[in-house]
Amino acid sequence: MKNKTVIEEAEDVRRAVEMVQLGARMQMLEVETRLSREKLLRIYKEVRGVSPPKGMLPFSTDWFMTWQPNVHSSLFMGFHRFFVERAGVRGLDAILKSYNLYLDHIESSAMEPVLSLTRAWTLVRFFDADLLQLSTCTCCGGRFVGHAHDPVQGYVCGLCNMPSRAGSSRKKATRKAVSRTRVAVSA
Amino acid sequence: MDRPDYQAEIRELNLAYLMLAQQMLRGDRATALFRLGISDALADLIESMSAAKLVRMASSQMLLPCFRFDDAQLARLMAGEGRDAVSAGLHAAILAAGKAAEEAA
Repeated sequence: MKNKTVIEEAEDVRRAVEMVQLGARMQMLEVETRLSREKLLRIYKEVRGVSPPKGMLPFSTDWFMTWQPNVHSSLFMGFHRFFVERAGVRGLDAILKSYNLYLDHIESSAMEPVLSLTRAWTLVRFFDADLLQLSTCTCCGGRFVGHAHDPVQGYVCGLCNMPSRAGSSRKKATRKAVSRTRVAVSA
Repeated sequence: MDRPDYQAEIRELNLAYLMLAQQMLRGDRATALFRLGISDALADLIESMSAAKLVRMASSQMLLPCFRFDDAQLARLMAGEGRDAVSAGLHAAILAAGKAAEEAA
């Protein structure tokens, strides 16, 4: 689709740059802007300094159900719900604002971001397509990402009922890092 | 006997809050609404106030910013009580975001 005016095109370029900075892949840029593929490729290379990765996007809803991704996506959807329902922000703006808040939280608690912008965008599309829903935890009352039409009665979230190994990979990683510094100190 | 009245401290905190709120609202209104947890009408008012009005508003006996969530479980999670502090923080953030979305407009 061609842009109608130069101003609209400038706005699309600004958004594309912001999306690439946040880590968007080409598929997302192509859907969310009306710029040509060539132009998007050039923007991507100018911002990142490398060519965009090729291949298809992951398209399964199951990734969002595993423990760690589920917690992170539920946090993102919590922000997104506020923007859509309370602040009247729609579409891409709501995704970008929620994603920025998500990154702020991740940064402030010194974690690694699990959810990429493209994943977050896919997540919202899954919600729009009624493949996923927010289920309310009967224990803490929080809203968590779940498959659509899953039974919601007696649902308990992954944080109230933490699986025994949840978070252990993270602990192992920090332990490894700690032992590495110890080695460095003793060496 | 000395009676601390905290007037200066309260005034300073109120003014800092109002100025920060105004700056946030003028920058990115939707995100500011989320972070501040105030109504649209109040947001409009603070956004449009002059500096002199903000100063006058800050000179009160009472603290203007008030505690956001009346929820002991949430407060505990925010403080990092739970199996580990990181997931408690995530849990708190999810609950707080949900509450923000459900607050009456």
